[in-house]
Amino acid sequence: MSQATQLPDDAFAPLTRSQHVQSLSRPSLSYWQDAWQRLRANRRAIISLYLILGLLLFTLIGPLLWRVDPALQDVDQISQPPGADRSAILTEDYQPWYGDPNTPGEGLRLAQPASTQAVRLQWEADPDAAEYRIYRNIFPVGTERALGLPLFETPANQTYFEDRLDLRPGVYFYTVVIMDSAGEETEGVILPDGQTPGSLPNQLEVEVKRVVTLSEARQRGLVDADENPPMGTEYQFAWHPLGTDYLGRDMLARLMHGARISLFIGFFAPLLYVLIGVIYGSMAGFIGGMTDQVLMRMADFVVALPFLLFMILFKVVFSIGPGESGITPMLVAMIILLWPSTARLVRGQILQIREEGYISASRLLGAQTNYLVLRHMIPNTMGVILVTLTFAVPGAIFTEAFLSFIGMGVAPPTPSWGSMCNEGIKTMLTTPHELIFPALFISITVLAFNLLGDGLRDALDARMRNRE
Amino acid sequence: MYTLKRLLLGLITIWFIATATFFGMHAVPGDPLTTDKALNPTIRENLEEKYGLDKPLGTQYVIYLQNLVQGDFGISFTQENRQVNDIIAEHFPVSATLGILAIVFSAAGGVLWGALTALYRNRLPDTIIMFLVILGISVPSFVVAAIGQLSLVNLNQTAGTSILPVGGWGTIWHMIVPSMVLGLSTMAYLTRLMRSSMLEIVNADYVRTAKAKGVPAPQIFSRHQLRNAILPVITVLGPQIAIITTGGFVVEIIFAIPGLGRYFVQAVQQLDYTVIMGTTVFYGAFLVFMVILVDLIYGFIDPRVRLE
Amino acid sequence: MPEEPTNNNDTLLQVEDLQVEFATYGGTVQAVRGVSFAVEAGKTLAIVGESGCGKSVTVQSIMGLTPMPPGRITKGAAYLRGHNILGQKTINGKDIRGDQIGMIFQDPMTSLNPTMNIGNQIAETLIVHRGYSKKQAFARAVELLELSKIPEADKRARQYPFEFSGGMLQRAMIAMAIACEPDILIADEPTTALDVTIQAQILDLLGDLQRETGMAIILITHDLGVVARMADDVLVMYAGQVVEHGSVDSIFYESAHPYTLGLRAAMPSNDPERNQELTPIDGSPPDLFQPPVGCGYAPRCPYAMKVCAAQPPAVHHIGPGHEARCWLHDPANTQAVPAIHNATQVAHHE
Repeated sequence: MSQATQLPDDAFAPLTRSQHVQSLSRPSLSYWQDAWQRLRANRRAIISLYLILGLLLFTLIGPLLWRVDPALQDVDQISQPPGADRSAILTEDYQPWYGDPNTPGEGLRLAQPASTQAVRLQWEADPDAAEYRIYRNIFPVGTERALGLPLFETPANQTYFEDRLDLRPGVYFYTVVIMDSAGEETEGVILPDGQTPGSLPNQLEVEVKRVVTLSEARQRGLVDADENPPMGTEYQFAWHPLGTDYLGRDMLARLMHGARISLFIGFFAPLLYVLIGVIYGSMAGFIGGMTDQVLMRMADFVVALPFLLFMILFKVVFSIGPGESGITPMLVAMIILLWPSTARLVRGQILQIREEGYISASRLLGAQTNYLVLRHMIPNTMGVILVTLTFAVPGAIFTEAFLSFIGMGVAPPTPSWGSMCNEGIKTMLTTPHELIFPALFISITVLAFNLLGDGLRDALDARMRNRE
Repeated sequence: MYTLKRLLLGLITIWFIATATFFGMHAVPGDPLTTDKALNPTIRENLEEKYGLDKPLGTQYVIYLQNLVQGDFGISFTQENRQVNDIIAEHFPVSATLGILAIVFSAAGGVLWGALTALYRNRLPDTIIMFLVILGISVPSFVVAAIGQLSLVNLNQTAGTSILPVGGWGTIWHMIVPSMVLGLSTMAYLTRLMRSSMLEIVNADYVRTAKAKGVPAPQIFSRHQLRNAILPVITVLGPQIAIITTGGFVVEIIFAIPGLGRYFVQAVQQLDYTVIMGTTVFYGAFLVFMVILVDLIYGFIDPRVRLE
Repeated sequence: MPEEPTNNNDTLLQVEDLQVEFATYGGTVQAVRGVSFAVEAGKTLAIVGESGCGKSVTVQSIMGLTPMPPGRITKGAAYLRGHNILGQKTINGKDIRGDQIGMIFQDPMTSLNPTMNIGNQIAETLIVHRGYSKKQAFARAVELLELSKIPEADKRARQYPFEFSGGMLQRAMIAMAIACEPDILIADEPTTALDVTIQAQILDLLGDLQRETGMAIILITHDLGVVARMADDVLVMYAGQVVEHGSVDSIFYESAHPYTLGLRAAMPSNDPERNQELTPIDGSPPDLFQPPVGCGYAPRCPYAMKVCAAQPPAVHHIGPGHEARCWLHDPANTQAVPAIHNATQVAHHE
């Protein structure tokens, strides 16, 4: 043993015992401290927590900063996606127009710059034409000759057309088809200005600018009553950061107010039914015996009710009157239908805890029922209840959205994310932002609560703790 | 004996649903017949005679139950001489087909993906699938349905011909996308459940025993893990069938499928009381029996329940 | 251990300097810190120690049953008839697990698949290793159940684990483990979950089977009574290390390590003349997240010296095949070795 030579002289002297060597080297943590540490280590759960706080700020503080009435209709900007051009040029009041053959150019052409007030088309007469039919499309016409919306038919002697039909800022494609004397369309079209025969496309591309007359501008508050700005002055219409819906209402303001409804139901319905479930379930678990049997059988019946059908039935039973939002019936219906699952869970938990050794030990030491409940039962069911609550929130938000979506939930004009989706889905193909934004908000909220719930469950689940 | 007890309890549950529906509908302010709907006199006569609507509520309830026991749900309020039974018989098979396809799709997918993610725990396939699963749980069904239809439109546009129909009902091709859309969130839920159940079983003592016996990994997976891991999935299948069949109406509305769910929403909008009541009770009964069926299947797979 | 007995022909399994650690969320646990031992054919080696001392991890690592990750074998080797089996599934085309080494576990209630009948679970081993047909294997399974002294074996084979009692399940586990007539049977606390009368029956069964088949048994236990009854050689483990190793007699009569002594003092005796109080060992084992610098037992050791806390003790030869990892036996220790050999002896042979 070479190492023995290096040992100090007193190496083999008896060791005096000190207390600290016996204590555990790691600090011990309480249940909640440990859970909080685990939760903090879970990045997804923490991001979700911030997201939820952000959503709360969005709906509570948001309307104070973004003071736009969610019910206000901006008729100039209907179904506008975010970032759309909102400039308008001051123009003369509308004057009737009867064509202008002196318009420079050849073929189908614009007689005047196109505006939302009117698009004025002029063309040369075709010798074969008995009539002309004018088409308008919002997409370029391809080889399949999908010409779009037939606007009007003009007689052979009228080689001009004025379009005033619901014009929006943007690009339109016009086609003038030559009709024969039998009233049938021929292959021939009036070629647009500068177009050589035989080449495609045979449509006139028109960019429509938004214009506003002086009286309109005054009415919208863009121009003061005593002001007389020159024609051609450019004005900016109201800004809608997330665009407008099909009635010209501000999406951002509606999302903020809609969040109130969705989150209100999302928070309060679970809070109340979980509370009822906890009371009911712990009663059944404590009292046990026949009472327990009867109570749980009742819960079974309620569970068996087809949930969504009964949610709809409640709506009928409450028969929402005009001007009511329909939130209260929805809340009541959810509470009546959803408490049994929590009740079952809590009862199971209580029954399990009742059999645990530490309860018997506590009882042997003379603990009263109140003490047992407060000191042992509630703290040991808290985790499960908290996790249930977190997972119940997205469920309630979904239910609201679903019911509002099929028109059985929140009554218009009250905005909720679900009812906004319902309105948005009708124009899904042309203006997808009306569906995308509320759907995105629902998804993000539900996602955040799900991830937070996952994190909480992992942090609070004692079984997981032992397994790792 | 167990089956008999379950069936009896099921019948009591259906009675409870019927009673709740009856008194719920009669709590609607005003007589169902005195609503502002212009009621066809023929229908009115039929109804008054059939339901004794002039009689007290108790008598009406008894008549209602008597009819129900005979399997008679009554006559529609809004469609002349149309039996609610006929309406259910016509539209329910459509909903049921859609629902069954969706359940099969979601259960198969859930078990497959769940087992896969558990095997590749914390590796790339797990991360990707679990991300999609969280997405599937977080996106509302109507948005999924809208996206489903939109992609069908795009698919057909890209292909130039109609590969799959965008809506309607009739052939197997009509069913594919709607049933997938309908089953998606359930599949996501079952995947999560299957994953955690598999992870629990990966560390189970009997899996360790099988390893110690030298059983090859694929056999451990198929004979020891899968069968035990599926059990919790089967227990939730009953309630999930309920969610899928009632959740069907969004898909039915968006894909223009003539199912009972869509008809139910229509009936509610038109306040067609007998149709509402009949459909609710019928759906309730259907769900009760599905749950019993799932329980019996569970007993078949788990010997502990079978032999009790 | 460095001074390994010469590798004679009887040595079936030789484990050398095995080190295993686990990565957990709280840090890395060094569960096994250099364990060496040898098992001879037909003999029983008992591994003794309190919970968490690394005895189960040691054998599970040899069998490749520790989940990896989080587990990791950082060093060492295990030779079965001269072939290193760590990380291997077969030697010369023959499966190790289930075929050459059988294993039974602590809790028979959870160690059998609840959805598969007993017969099929035993038959599975034979199908995998021996290539039996399903029918053949099942018939053999019934025979094995009979061999394990299960009455009405053909009826019992068709039953499921939940229909068996704990003792019966452990018999079935044994039948399963010996199905392929392994050279070594590892029994990881086989009787801990059973009540005392059943314990004795199971131990008798193991003894009978060993006599009939000549297999070696590695018996993991924390019950010195079981050790006294079954073992030929004993390995005492503490905090992931072997602290004493010797024949069952030398361990009981010439205990050289204070920990062994402590274990013996904590064990009841059936000597009526000794109305002795059981003496528990104070304190708790060291935290293996940060293994101690010196001897792991020093804080609890009544004979601890200054050097014990400062430097790790070496392994010292006490007698033939008897070694202890303790500073008390260091030749440089000029102080009198406490008369620990003379501590009250425990009667162990009935």
